[in-house]
Amino acid sequence: MTVTFPDITVGVLALQGAFSEHVQLLRLAAKSLEQRKAVHVKWGFIEVRTPQELATCDGLIIPGGESTAMALVAARSGLLEPLREFVKVLRKPTWGTCAGLILLAESANKTKKGGQDLIGGLDVRVNRNHFGRQVESFQTDLSLPFLGDAIDKDSSEPFRCVFIRAPVVEKVLPHREGIQAEEAEQDATVVAPAQTPADELAKEALQSEVEIMANISTRNTALQQNQEHEHAGNEDIIAVRQGNVFGCSFHPELTADPRIHVWWLEEILKAVQRRQEFVDRTVLSVS
Amino acid sequence: MAPELPPTNGQKNEQNGKNNFAVKAGLAKMLKGGVIMDVINAEQARIAEEAGAVAVMALERVPADIRAQGGVARMSDPQMIKEIMDAVTIPVMAKARIGHFVECQILEALGVDYIDESEVLTPADAVHHVSKHPFKIPFVCGCRNLGEALRRISEGAAMIRTKGEAGTGDVIEAVRHMRTVNAEIARAGSMSDEELRVYAKDIQADFSLLKEAAQLGRLPVVNFAAGGVATPADAALMMQLGCDGVFVGSGIFKSGDAAKRAKAIVQAVTHYKDPKTLMEVSMNLGEAMVGINCGKMDESEKLAKRGW
Repeated sequence: MTVTFPDITVGVLALQGAFSEHVQLLRLAAKSLEQRKAVHVKWGFIEVRTPQELATCDGLIIPGGESTAMALVAARSGLLEPLREFVKVLRKPTWGTCAGLILLAESANKTKKGGQDLIGGLDVRVNRNHFGRQVESFQTDLSLPFLGDAIDKDSSEPFRCVFIRAPVVEKVLPHREGIQAEEAEQDATVVAPAQTPADELAKEALQSEVEIMANISTRNTALQQNQEHEHAGNEDIIAVRQGNVFGCSFHPELTADPRIHVWWLEEILKAVQRRQEFVDRTVLSVS
Repeated sequence: MAPELPPTNGQKNEQNGKNNFAVKAGLAKMLKGGVIMDVINAEQARIAEEAGAVAVMALERVPADIRAQGGVARMSDPQMIKEIMDAVTIPVMAKARIGHFVECQILEALGVDYIDESEVLTPADAVHHVSKHPFKIPFVCGCRNLGEALRRISEGAAMIRTKGEAGTGDVIEAVRHMRTVNAEIARAGSMSDEELRVYAKDIQADFSLLKEAAQLGRLPVVNFAAGGVATPADAALMMQLGCDGVFVGSGIFKSGDAAKRAKAIVQAVTHYKDPKTLMEVSMNLGEAMVGINCGKMDESEKLAKRGW
């Protein structure tokens, strides 16, 4: 089946952090899709600093950086509410890496004194700086189920995961209408405000199950020297997806490997298609 | 406007070796587009964090005071750095004297997130800089020109900043250093390999690093502005000249309304291309630090001359 896609714009939140790296990998991913799968789409990859720029996007990446700084700058730039609307009302495809994962979580702990603003969209609790300070930052090769094919690398090969003062998903939460009230009652935990999804399709994505996409074993050799990382359990959750919102605690943008970006662009294509079918259905039922 | 820095950067061959250079340079990338602020206690660190700083630099005296008070400036008391580390969740950097590798060992044991081998402190070694590759902690170092920047990177620095002239509130030297680096990279960009070898010798830089910079059209690691930034306009000026972010030392806590100025500089660095936002955040900031005119300074008072 040949599907004709409209022009698609993918934004990278450019308030602070590693946004230009994501843009470069998106360009590489689009090229990979064209060469490996003959997917011809006219992509636009843009840096997003204003609500006007955000409004043109079909999908968004929130890059690594400092989540506190990004949240503060977003609030002062009048971008925090438009971001919440993008993720939770319109429910467009969004992917957060490291700081982006923190901002997309419905609940976060170990944030700065007085807490921080979250966008929300993923029903999880993240633990900020889970592995410790920069001395404990590390990289390791992991096999991941969410890779596409790059020009020179197949999806089956392991991916170099770079963890920098990285968070993890500490707990997957049940979906709640409204805020994560039980989380809000816990000490030193912040939660995202609730939003009402715009339509049935958005609601479906918002309420879908949280899927655990990747774990890291606490016995990983890169973690052997880590002093601050002793806790119960054998694994930490490092990637999750809920409907069309995806988050990972490591930095694909610090590698030259576009395979996660390839996979994610394919996910965007599916989302655009679903949205198109939904609109067609709605139009039919109205007429 | 900084040219793109590829996702994997600097020290191509060291990506997976030498204490994880990718991880060290990676943290610097997370700080891009942000402001790193000098703070002398936990209270100032909290103000910086609330203002949206991406990191703080913990030190006992800001450069303006080091300049005024004179004497030997050394690494800060680890206890004071520890208090700052406990007060904020953003990365904490600390300064060590040029060549003082034991101060660096102490800072590493303390667990700071970045070490600044800094000319603002009194140098401990008149010839050598610290060998930075063996440390697990990443380093940032100052530069006045391309050769100096590449020498620091070859020693293991994972991030570079202009030296500027710290503690003056006068941006002229930071601009001079950034423009010099840019001009030298542009020059290198038009050279053949043979010419680059001669140029590497002239500026006392490693050939392969010079070639990498020439090909990228920029330094192969993150490059911040530092030394004399005092206003949102100064910060945006440095960003438009091609820096990846900005250090503000004395400029914030030596001004009238520190919290307000700090926020304004953070906004200015994100929206550095938008004059309307710059105009808005520049309003009613109160008194800027008084400052020292670099043109009227005695050459011997210049801190940027320290380091080689």
